[in-house]
Amino acid sequence: MSSVRPQQTTGDTSLESLLQHPALWRGRQAATRPTLSSGSAVLDAQLPSGGWPAGGLTEILTRRTGLGELRLLLPLLRRVGQHIPARWVVWVAPPFEPYAPALQAYGMPLAGQLVIRTTETAWALEQALESGACAVALCWGLHARAAQRAQMLRRLQWAAQRSGFPVFLFRDWEALREPSTAELRLTFEPLRLGGQVQLIKSRGGSRNPCQFLWSEFERVSEPNSRVGATPL
Amino acid sequence: MRRSARPLLPIAAPTQGARSAVAPASAELELISEEPEGLSARELWLALSEPESDKQRRLCQIAQAFSSQVSLEAPDGVLLEAGRSRQYFGGLKRLLARLQQRCQRAKLKPRWGLAPTPLAALALARAVPGQMVLQRSQLVSAVASLPLASLGWPERTVERLAAIGVREIGAALRLPRAEFTRRYGRSCLTSLDRLLGRQADPRPRLTSALRFRVQRSLDFELRDTALILRELQPMLQTLEQFLRRQQRAIECLQLRLQHRARSLQVTPEYTLLRATLAQASSHAEPFARWFAERLARERLPDTVIGLELRAAVFLPMTAQSDHLWQPGEHGGAMGRESPALIERLRARLGHEAVYGLCLVDEHRPECAYRVAEPRLATTSAGTSAAYAAISEATPMRLPRRPLWLLHEPHPLPWCWRQLQWLSGPERIETGWWDGRDVMRDYYHALDPQGAEVWVFRERRPPHAWYLHGVFG
Repeated sequence: MSSVRPQQTTGDTSLESLLQHPALWRGRQAATRPTLSSGSAVLDAQLPSGGWPAGGLTEILTRRTGLGELRLLLPLLRRVGQHIPARWVVWVAPPFEPYAPALQAYGMPLAGQLVIRTTETAWALEQALESGACAVALCWGLHARAAQRAQMLRRLQWAAQRSGFPVFLFRDWEALREPSTAELRLTFEPLRLGGQVQLIKSRGGSRNPCQFLWSEFERVSEPNSRVGATPL
Repeated sequence: MRRSARPLLPIAAPTQGARSAVAPASAELELISEEPEGLSARELWLALSEPESDKQRRLCQIAQAFSSQVSLEAPDGVLLEAGRSRQYFGGLKRLLARLQQRCQRAKLKPRWGLAPTPLAALALARAVPGQMVLQRSQLVSAVASLPLASLGWPERTVERLAAIGVREIGAALRLPRAEFTRRYGRSCLTSLDRLLGRQADPRPRLTSALRFRVQRSLDFELRDTALILRELQPMLQTLEQFLRRQQRAIECLQLRLQHRARSLQVTPEYTLLRATLAQASSHAEPFARWFAERLARERLPDTVIGLELRAAVFLPMTAQSDHLWQPGEHGGAMGRESPALIERLRARLGHEAVYGLCLVDEHRPECAYRVAEPRLATTSAGTSAAYAAISEATPMRLPRRPLWLLHEPHPLPWCWRQLQWLSGPERIETGWWDGRDVMRDYYHALDPQGAEVWVFRERRPPHAWYLHGVFG
């Protein structure tokens, strides 16, 4: 019987170096992966490796569009938008018009915003990822038949991983029942003056729901609002 | 009677030494055996004489490849300034050799002359083709023996001068200036002064109206887009050469595919594709990519039997060099990647599907922003400083605006009593001057599902409630 046995002496070190590889993780003790801070200490503590994955697909599931899920990403968008050399902040098939005066008020530079109106969201997103000219990509919906969705997600996750920048895919609640190859999946639900994030799939990170207030986010709270509601 | 004693130029009989500067050469444009020495003139004009207008036009095109200063002299002359181009082409000998090569290929045999002034060069080309005068001091002796007819003066003047025995340029130069002007006109005197370089001879630069059009008719029919693209490739190369020659760049290129006519009566069908780039290019490659992307999706009605490329609007070429670093690496800027992404997206999705955002100074919420050509901030001053300037210096701070604006205000899907009010009202009442006036009271509220919404109530009857934005 001739078998090749791994050498005991170098076995440990090679195993150690292997475990440092970002593509490998062991349950909750995930290898640290490059991340970008979400702008909230509460949320950062919850997310694996302490922030949004820098090279990977993040799925955000909501019951409806416009519940506050975009506000979740504003600190990140503002930071990458002000980065020089400038790169595109890509909006693929947003549900409404991104409102320029509000973006400006939140401190996002309007130069560098690239809106793409299409039903071929996966294609447009993949092009943006492969161009190497983007800083962050946001995409609403997958617009594909159920049979193709899994394959599409796998391609997008792979493209996001290669591109090395954060990619966010906003999907509706029904997507919970579908499997996904996305690196991070979470649901978002609004609370009064805040929100709740629950991780569905992640490499590491906590499974407990995480509640936070908008005021805890860096400068996402009210940029210049009149406090105190006027009753009708 | 006052005698004007000053002749145009005291002229001595040409000496042996003066002759030697005039290098004899063949009448036809031909290779000169060695680089001429003793070049002292800063300007050096090469005149090409070609009486046929059709050939003259082709000669101009060739000349423009050798000098930026090309001008026409009626009726037969093409003048180009060779003194400044000399260095670039590696000497006068090489320049002439290449010019001759190009002329031969175009089957042109112009007569030529070379001199420090354009008129002298032209006179040489007309009278004694193939002569070179390389120094200004030799100019007088070189042109003195040439017939006056070679100056292109009006025939009547030349005849009248011949009647008094003045047949050569040298003889005309000996005449007194004042009398010469009185009898033969100011323009002739100016012409003589310019001939000898005593007066400036500014020449309008020849600029041809730029147009690019190449056609290719195929003697076979094509349906496969890959094959169409292959046929397109040489045409795009022609375009690139044209753009480089003219030092131009284009943003827009039109491709017309001609289809087989179904019958003799029906006019042949065309498919028109208009490629518009995000950044003007003097290379054909981005256009090739655009057409490849577009043709892959285009459903052609029939087989293609002809191709035509057209460009009409030309911009100055801007030379571009690639960055040493990859984009994003060590602060390397985006080079061609960002326009390339936009072009690719637009080729497939259409021009309007890809856009950027910009602000408009307006109170009506739907008019306060505008769809704009996407652009990237190039300097940090362009983003953070501009933002700081806006957010700090704006005297009036507006109440909070929603991140999402609905394309059209939507009638409120809930009863207004179900909303939880957060702030408001903010009255917006403006725009009476352009017929789209608004009279609204805006409120910031929570809808039954807990989303922050921006709703308004018309101040005009029937005081309806609308949803206009989502705070997202």
